[in-house]
Amino acid sequence: MSNSLASAAPYAPTLPARLPLVAAALWLTALLASAAPWLGELSPLALLQAFAGFNEDSYASVMAHFSWAPRVAMAVLIGAALGLAGAVTQQILGNPLASPTTLGVAAGSQFGVTVASLFFPGLLAWSADVPAILGGLLAIGMVIALTWRLGFSPVTVILAGLVITFFLGATNMAFLLLKGEWLGNLFIWGAGSLVQNNWQPFQDLWPRVIVLSFLMLLLMRPLQLLQLGETSARSLGAKVAWVRALALFLVVLLSATVVSRVGVIAFVGLAAPVLARLLGARTLGEKLVWSPLLGAGLLLLADTLAHWASTWGDGSLIPTGTTTALIGGPIILLALQSIRNTHHMPGQASNPPGFLPRRRSASVIAGVLLVLLAATVVISMGWSPGLEGWNWTAVTNWDDAWVWRGPRMLAAILAGVALGLAGTLIQRMTGNPMGSPEMLGISGGAALVMVVVVLSGIEAGRTVQILAATLGAAGALGLLILLARKHRFAGNQLLLGGLALYVFMDAGLRLVMAAGGTQASKLLNWMYGSTWLISETEALSLMTVIFAISTVLAIIVRPLTILPLGDVSASSLGLPVARARLALLLLAAVLTAAATVVIGPLSFVGLIAPHLARVLGQQTVGRQLIVAGLVGGVLLALADYLSRIVVYPNQLPAGLLAALVGGLYFLWGLSRHGKA
Amino acid sequence: MFTRPAALTLLFFILSALAPTAAAESWQHENGTLTLEDTPKRVVALNWAATEALLLLGVTPVGVADLEGYGHWVQEPALPESGVANVGTRVAPSLEAIAELEPDLIVTSAEMAPAAGLLNRIAPTYVISVYREGKDAFDQARKMLLTLGDILDRQERAEDVMADIEQTLAEQRARLAGADLPRRPVALVNFLDSRHVRIYAPNGLYQTALKALELPNAWPHAGNFWGFSVVGLETLAEHPEARLVALSPTPPGLKQTLAESPFWTYLPAVQRDQVYQMDPVWPFGGAYQVKRLAVYLTDALLAGGTDNVQ
Repeated sequence: MSNSLASAAPYAPTLPARLPLVAAALWLTALLASAAPWLGELSPLALLQAFAGFNEDSYASVMAHFSWAPRVAMAVLIGAALGLAGAVTQQILGNPLASPTTLGVAAGSQFGVTVASLFFPGLLAWSADVPAILGGLLAIGMVIALTWRLGFSPVTVILAGLVITFFLGATNMAFLLLKGEWLGNLFIWGAGSLVQNNWQPFQDLWPRVIVLSFLMLLLMRPLQLLQLGETSARSLGAKVAWVRALALFLVVLLSATVVSRVGVIAFVGLAAPVLARLLGARTLGEKLVWSPLLGAGLLLLADTLAHWASTWGDGSLIPTGTTTALIGGPIILLALQSIRNTHHMPGQASNPPGFLPRRRSASVIAGVLLVLLAATVVISMGWSPGLEGWNWTAVTNWDDAWVWRGPRMLAAILAGVALGLAGTLIQRMTGNPMGSPEMLGISGGAALVMVVVVLSGIEAGRTVQILAATLGAAGALGLLILLARKHRFAGNQLLLGGLALYVFMDAGLRLVMAAGGTQASKLLNWMYGSTWLISETEALSLMTVIFAISTVLAIIVRPLTILPLGDVSASSLGLPVARARLALLLLAAVLTAAATVVIGPLSFVGLIAPHLARVLGQQTVGRQLIVAGLVGGVLLALADYLSRIVVYPNQLPAGLLAALVGGLYFLWGLSRHGKA
Repeated sequence: MFTRPAALTLLFFILSALAPTAAAESWQHENGTLTLEDTPKRVVALNWAATEALLLLGVTPVGVADLEGYGHWVQEPALPESGVANVGTRVAPSLEAIAELEPDLIVTSAEMAPAAGLLNRIAPTYVISVYREGKDAFDQARKMLLTLGDILDRQERAEDVMADIEQTLAEQRARLAGADLPRRPVALVNFLDSRHVRIYAPNGLYQTALKALELPNAWPHAGNFWGFSVVGLETLAEHPEARLVALSPTPPGLKQTLAESPFWTYLPAVQRDQVYQMDPVWPFGGAYQVKRLAVYLTDALLAGGTDNVQ
């Protein structure tokens, strides 16, 4: 942990000049770009005065005062708030991939607004903020409740946060798919828009942001102690848990307050602290000062781009969430260069404390899972709702039922196995518990191509869909290999690269969502897995691919046990580190690509299954692989069954139910384990 | 020699081609050719435009997608209270439910292209998209109605429906011309929240109604292929000459928020009391919706404007 010692040195190195320079350049560019379209109609002075008042005789002045100025003010305020929230989150959790969004804030807030729009429209009319903030608090409340007994160790908080995010996110999507027409506002809210026509939102927001930020800064000293590392901070006693809980609570309150007014503004909370660190902010104080400043500049620039893009095209709204993602992606890619130590970020523990469940016999667990799988298959084939109600299909009639129930179930099981295997490979390789095929960007790449297909208006048949997904996955893989070669295929660089790809996909998704219409529903359906479209041939070819790769895996499982030990020890054990990583990466990528075609990029089975295997007591690589594969298979088989029966004759995408079912079980495992 | 299967098949084809039976008829559609021996009796519609067309022809479908939603959003022409099965959502219907209905015709759009192969296994499928890149929605809707009339052997009824729509449009134009109203372009909007509206572009179904009523559309840009764009409310200020028609329902609390917003009160249309409220019509339906649009729009304009949404 030499790194944490260096950063805690009593005399911090002087601040690099490029930090203020870049920040100033960012602000200047953003402000000029934002003002540029107005300068034709108003003098620079008149434009400046637009922040204070307006001239009744000039319509341009009225517009500048009520539309442009509050939008600029909002962008700065929100960017700064999210930047601060992001810096504090990364400090609390000691993970450069953490951000308020990963704590479940955005998903929770959206859940709040969705529920309010559908069931309590009066509440929404009375105050738009309350449902969003309540939703955000619900999310963090769940995270805190789940991890309380484990003393909020960063790793468990991050995991619980991610699972809550997927869980609530999946619920939100289910509502959007089933009740889309009632939730027109949610499509925009989910994409984030800073459009203003009034000063009221800004005036409501700024005092809240100031108060919450001030409270957060009061926690600075205790937070700084946290940076010293778990051991030294523990001398503070139980306070560690309280400081973390309080800081998390404040982060969520701040983010949810902001999000409630403008919708989900993606990636500023992640990109601003990353950029600050990239430009040389080392101490906590520096990070807390520069992250908000950079965040404000970034959001203003992104919002100006969004505004410009809206006016260039046919006038239809380009949501700010899209452009923040487009700017956030490259920043995350840049950050790849700056993070040198391969496996451990400051504060990122290699073994999550208190997260090593009792070992259990692999054959017993595998046996139980196989029985579960068989039971799911039998129930799925036999017990189904029809238009006349529920009925059993006799075994003799199964060949008829197979046409509609069989291929999709088979494909779901195979995709689950593939994701379980890929997830274990990636988590083992990167040593990061946030690692998953979804985070590696392979599925993000597949989804990106699909988003582009939808945006371009091509009517994609089944073949086009599969080709697009495969092409995207292969492209993402190629890009990742290029990126990663520089870093000897090391863990966190890959995850950051993957995250950047995911960010780009997200940008496109938000654009499609904000445009509304059935495009969005169609895309969401695919993103969460359209098992209902699987034909027999497709299921069988998937089976061949998965079997072939599993065989290869069985042969080369040894390198995985050694890789997490670190480069030096792995090399000294006679392992060609880079080549081993490349081979494993390739296998994980092919598995992910095959699964993504079936289940879409957002099932998160690849994240959940390996963790479940650990919760089920499987610690060695081989056993974790087998159990994670089986867990994935059971999970998706169950999800596919549920997806066609829960709201019959409506169907939900199976990946969405996998996120729900897997999330529930995972949360249960986490809380139960906490008691042990 | 005639025992060989290939020869038998050949013979069968020759015979069936020559046979003067109820000749199989064929229709070209967006995803191939539909060939039918008999007039279909059990029809399943997988989107609301198709449901509407079937009902207009007096054919009650055995199954439709999103039955409840149709009753809430489209309303007219109304589905019977019972006897029609729901087959699931419009983006992902339940194939098993469709198969259980044993239809002899499925009507769907190109949006279902990925499922085309599976649908064809259940029943012959007729594919037509009212909303499609580069196509005029009303032309497509008319084509769908007339072709379905042909397929279902109700050609006359289809012609009648179209004639009725044209006649209604002419009547509404006369009503508007008779009234002494300002000759200003019209901006049709749906409020999504207090900051964003869906504005109807010159390439949708609304445009057909506007054209028939000889009203210019204030919004000059093409929208998506559904015929709308989502824009910020401030964009309305760029068209000071426009009359503003807001479609019901508006979000709860909107009226209050707008009344308190100085920006809103400065909008030229608001200052001229030219904000009109129009009863809801499903703007993404078929030909019949143009008729309703024209009637409601005329009603709204004749009822007079105010300075706020209702």
